[in-house]
Amino acid sequence: MKAFNTKVFHALYSAFAIFSCLALGKLCSNFAPVLPASLYGLIVFTLTLHFRLFDADKIKNTVIWCLKHMGICFVPAGVGIINHFELIKQFGITIVLITFTTTFILLSVVGLYYQRYAVDKD
Amino acid sequence: MVYITSDMLSIKTKPMMITELLSSHLLSSFIAVAGTIIIFQFVAMLQRKLNVIWLQPMLISILALIAILLWQDISFDSYFSSAWLLNALLEPAVVALGFPLYQHLATITQQWKSIILVLLIGALIAIISSFIITMLIIGDYTIAVALSLKSVTTPIAIAIAGQLDGNTAITAFAIILAGFFGALVGPRWLTFIKVKSPKAQGLAIGAASHAIGTATVSNISYEHAAYSSLALIVSAVITAFISPVIINLLASFF
Repeated sequence: MKAFNTKVFHALYSAFAIFSCLALGKLCSNFAPVLPASLYGLIVFTLTLHFRLFDADKIKNTVIWCLKHMGICFVPAGVGIINHFELIKQFGITIVLITFTTTFILLSVVGLYYQRYAVDKD
Repeated sequence: MVYITSDMLSIKTKPMMITELLSSHLLSSFIAVAGTIIIFQFVAMLQRKLNVIWLQPMLISILALIAILLWQDISFDSYFSSAWLLNALLEPAVVALGFPLYQHLATITQQWKSIILVLLIGALIAIISSFIITMLIIGDYTIAVALSLKSVTTPIAIAIAGQLDGNTAITAFAIILAGFFGALVGPRWLTFIKVKSPKAQGLAIGAASHAIGTATVSNISYEHAAYSSLALIVSAVITAFISPVIINLLASFF
């Protein structure tokens, strides 16, 4: 029972930490609309953990769970492709091919460059 | 007399309609959210058991839901407004990525120069290669802008695409494609070309496949998650600043 209570407390504490960072992120993106609120929130969350405003040990388990399941949050927006069937019919294959090729180039360049000049050097 | 009756009618009918709407909306929200979760978890379970690369839970759930919507003749808008809860959780989920980033902050600050340099080169390559290839093959400026921005996270890419008169619908579509492409083949391809360090793999996938890639590689290791989240942020900032200049410059050649 005590272990369960601690779990619930940690989950609530993590939710509070994440949502307060997100709220600050919303504030930031309101004043400086360079980045979306969630990315500002990510930066704020990292900083609050780094400066020990929130206790990382209490947050760890909840965050691991969130990261494991976060993929599901992209599903509803992804289904939105359904609205672009006409476009896909018209240019679909070309767009897919260009996207694949350029993503391939980008992946390889960033990966190879960093592996060679930063990782292998160490 | 006529005024009074019409007023009375509206008073009588309004509360009825609101309660009906509310209960049906609550029910459809429950069905949409629970259905999405069940499909996603089922595919995730299958993937763990069979261990096949293309059984990516996000991708297969999206395809399955599209099939269900088409089969049952449900519009995307009604599905999306019912599944709003999952979409609303996207923002806090992205914030949670700050945790792996925090854990690797010390090594990252040591290497910040090479990280920024490689991501700047990456952003330049992403924008220039996509813009030129699209202009040469399709020859449409609005599509070229859309594809140049596909490697950064959706809200930023859509905002820049709108600002530069790009096609935002194609931007959204290409972002999803780039995300899944990097998430599905990224780790294997990088291992194949001997980029084996989790740092380099994380950076490459975060730079090419934004949040979808980051969500996927987060399951491989914490180091992947940290470097991928970092690339997600830094690439977004760099692209937001350089893309208007570069795209305007490139457009003057065509």
